[in-house]
Amino acid sequence: MPTSTENASLCVALIGNPNTGKSTLFGALVGVHQHVGNYPGVTVEKRTGRMDDAGRRYELVDLPGLYSLAPRSRDEMVAVDLLLGRRDDCPPVDAVVCIVHAGNLQRNLYLLSQVLELGLPTVVAVNMIDVAKKQGVSIDSARLQQQLGVPVVAIQANRRIGVSQLKAALARAVADDPSPGETPFPEPFENEVTRLQSVLTDRRAESDDRKPMPRCLIRRLLLDTDGYLVDALLGDAESGAVGELEAARTRLTEADCPVPAIETKARYDWARRTLDGVVTEPGRYRATGTDRLDRLLTHRLWGTVIFGALMVIVFQSVFLGGELAVGWIDAGSEALGRWLETLMAEGALRSLLVEGVIGGVGGVLSFLPQILILFLFIAVLEDCGYMARAAYLMDKLMVRVGLSGKSFIPMLSCFACAIPGIMATRVIENERDRLTTILVAPLMTCSARLPVYVLLIAAFIPNTLYLGGLLSLQGLTMVGLYLLGIVTAVAAALVLKRTVLRGKTPPFLMELPSYKWPSPRTALYRVAQRGWLFLRCAGTLILSVSIIVWAALYYPHNADVVEAPFHEQQRSLQSQLDSLPPGDLRREDVQRQLAQLDHEIAGAYQRQSVLGRAGRVIEPVVKPLGWDWRIGCAVIASFPAREIVVATLGVIYNLGEEADVESEQGLTQLQAKLHAAVWDDSDPPRKVFNVPVALSILVFFALCAQCAATLAVIRRETNSWRWPAFTFGYMTALAYLGALVTYQVGMWISG
Amino acid sequence: MIVIDKSIPLNDLPTGTSAFVSRITGRPDHVHRLEEFGLRGGTRIEMFRPGNPCIIRMAGNKVCFRADDLLRVLVEPDAASD
Repeated sequence: MPTSTENASLCVALIGNPNTGKSTLFGALVGVHQHVGNYPGVTVEKRTGRMDDAGRRYELVDLPGLYSLAPRSRDEMVAVDLLLGRRDDCPPVDAVVCIVHAGNLQRNLYLLSQVLELGLPTVVAVNMIDVAKKQGVSIDSARLQQQLGVPVVAIQANRRIGVSQLKAALARAVADDPSPGETPFPEPFENEVTRLQSVLTDRRAESDDRKPMPRCLIRRLLLDTDGYLVDALLGDAESGAVGELEAARTRLTEADCPVPAIETKARYDWARRTLDGVVTEPGRYRATGTDRLDRLLTHRLWGTVIFGALMVIVFQSVFLGGELAVGWIDAGSEALGRWLETLMAEGALRSLLVEGVIGGVGGVLSFLPQILILFLFIAVLEDCGYMARAAYLMDKLMVRVGLSGKSFIPMLSCFACAIPGIMATRVIENERDRLTTILVAPLMTCSARLPVYVLLIAAFIPNTLYLGGLLSLQGLTMVGLYLLGIVTAVAAALVLKRTVLRGKTPPFLMELPSYKWPSPRTALYRVAQRGWLFLRCAGTLILSVSIIVWAALYYPHNADVVEAPFHEQQRSLQSQLDSLPPGDLRREDVQRQLAQLDHEIAGAYQRQSVLGRAGRVIEPVVKPLGWDWRIGCAVIASFPAREIVVATLGVIYNLGEEADVESEQGLTQLQAKLHAAVWDDSDPPRKVFNVPVALSILVFFALCAQCAATLAVIRRETNSWRWPAFTFGYMTALAYLGALVTYQVGMWISG
Repeated sequence: MIVIDKSIPLNDLPTGTSAFVSRITGRPDHVHRLEEFGLRGGTRIEMFRPGNPCIIRMAGNKVCFRADDLLRVLVEPDAASD
C-alpha cells in the first residue's frame, strides 16, 4: 500500500564543481520547468525545477558550483544549509546527484567525499567522458561504483546520453538507506569528533530532548578555522563549545593532524585510493585543440589584439542592431500615439495614455534591443569558454584598480548600457569584487547619455580644429566626458575597496574550461531569461516613474488660467486665416504663427505644472551650478531615463512635443532656443547658456545615477534596497559637486 | 649533509617545463583554498604561459593563477622533463 511519502515530491540537490556541465544536466533533467529566484538575504541565485519520472515527482535544486563544502561566506553557507535541511524555505533533501568531470576526477572527488559524509542517498554522474577521451583519459565507471559504494552513471549531458540511466539510478537510490561508509580522516581526528559529540548539541532542535549534532557537522565545525560556521551554528548560546573546539584543535595540531590542512590531506589521499584502477591516463600530457587555440588566444600581444577586435565587433553590433530596432519601436509608438489621439477627446486620460503610458513603455522597450544583443554575445562567449581567457588577458589591468579580470567584460558592457553589464557581474564569485563592480558600473558613459552630449556640445562648444582638422574641440570634449566616467569609476572602486567594502580577497584561481561549440539552445534560453527579468523588474519601475513624471508635468491642468492670455492672439490669427483665400501664400505664415502659439501654450502649461513649480522652488539649489529653473526642471524630469531631458527641454523652450529634436532641423531649432534663453528676472537680460553652464550640465549627466532601470537591476542583483540607494546617493552627490566645480571654475577662468 | 632546495617560484617556471609543487606559503586560509582546489604539495603541474597571472596545466585542466606578495607557490622542476 503506498505510503503518503510516496506521493509527495522528492527533493533532489544537484551539486558539483564549476565547469562540469551541471547546468546542462539540470536543463536536461527539468527541461522548461525551471524557475530562477533568490535565496532571501544572499545574492546566490536559486534555481529549482520539476522532473517527473516513472510516476514520481522530483523537485530539483541546482546548487551553485562549489569546490568544497567549507563555507566562508553567507553565499557559500547556502549550499551547506540546504543539504543539511537547515533552510526554512526549502524542504529537506531526499537525495543528492553529484556531478563529476571525467577529466579531473581527483579534485572532483574532494567535494564528493564531503557530500558522501552527509549520509544522504547519493548518485554520482560522471560527465564529459568525451572530453576526457580527447586527453587520452579513460574511466572505468563500474570499478568506481565498486570503490565508492554508491551508484555511478556515465553521462554526456550535452548530448543527453545516459540521462535516463541517471534517472533510474536516482529512483533506486532514494529507496535505499545509505551506510555512512568509512571516514577518510585519521584516528586522532575522529576521536576528537566523538569527544565533541557529547558537548555540542544541535541548536535547531526545538524540544528539550536535544538531538545530538551529526558527526559530519562536528567535523565541519572542527575544520572551520574561519569561524564562519561556528558563528552560524553555535552563535553565542554555547560559548563553552567554542573553547572546546579550540582545545580540540590544539590537541590535533600536537597529534600532527593540523586543522584545516588535515582535511585536504585526508580527502585527497582517499581520492587517490579510490581512483586506484579506475582512471587510466597517458604518461605524457597530450595537447588538445583547446591548447592550440589557447596558444594564440592567451598570447600577450595577439590574444589582446583579437580580444580588442572581438569587443569592437560586439559594440558595433549592439549599436547597429539597437538603432534599427529603436527606429521601429519609435515609429510604432508614435503611430499608436497618433491613433489614440484621433480616437479620444483631449484630456487628462488621453495625455496619460499617450505621453505617460506609451511614452514610458516605449522608453522601456527602446532599451530592450541593445540589452538582448549584448546578453546574446555574453552568453555565447561564456558558453564557448572564451570568457575565462578574456578575464585572464584583462587581469593585469584590473588589478591596478583593485579588481580582477572577471570585472572587465561587465564594465565594458556598461558603455552600451549599464543594465546587461550589471547582470553580467554574476560571473564574479568574489562577493566584494562583484559589489564594487556593480556600484561603479553606472559611472561608465552609457549610450543613453549621448543625445544630451551631442546636443550641448554641438550648441555650445566652439568647433575649433587642431592639427589641421585631425582633432576638434568638440570631439575632445566628448572623449573628455568618457574619460571622466572611467576615471571616476576607477577612483570610486579604489575608495570603496578601502572603506565600505573592506575585507579579505580570496586568491585569484580560475579554471580555463575546454573550448566547446556554444549551444544555441542554452544561449537563447539564457538571453530570454535575462530579458524577461529585465522587463519585469526594470520595466515596471520605469513605467511607474514615467507616469509620475507625466503627472507632475501635467497637473494642475487649469485651462482657463493658462490659455486665457493667449485667447486674443489666437482669435485674431484665426480670423486672419479665415479672411485669406485658400492658395494665398500668406496662409502658411499665419499657420506657422498659430502653431507657435500652440507651443507657447504647451510651455505655459508646463511652467505652472507641479514639476515646473518644483523647478522654480529648487532654483536656488541649482543656481550655483549655473542653471535656471527650466534646466532644473528638465533634469528632474529625466530621472527615469536620461534621454527624456532633450524632449523636455524642447517642450520647456516652447518647441512643442511634436518638434522632432532628433532631426537636423529640430536640433538646430532647439539649439537656437537655448542660445537665446535668458534668466527670468534679469534686467538687462542675461543669457542662461554659456560654455561653463553647458559643461556643468554635461558633467552632471556624466556622473549622476539618473536611470531608474539601472537602480532596479542593482536592487535585484544585490537583493537589497541598501545598495541602489547608496549608488543613487553617492552618484548624485558626485554629480552635484562635479557640476558645481565645473561651473564655478569655468566662470572664474572666463570671467 | 646539506639538502639543496631546488624550489623556484611558480611564476619563474619556463614554458613547457613540468614541476612538482614543493610548498605554498601565505595566509592559512588562502593556502587552504588552493589546496582544496588541488594545488598542493606533490601536485604535478606544467607551465603553459608564465607571468603573473600565469596559466598552468594541472591534472588535465588549465588554470589561471595570480600570486601576490603574501601568496607564493614554490615548485621543484621535474628533472625528467624535456
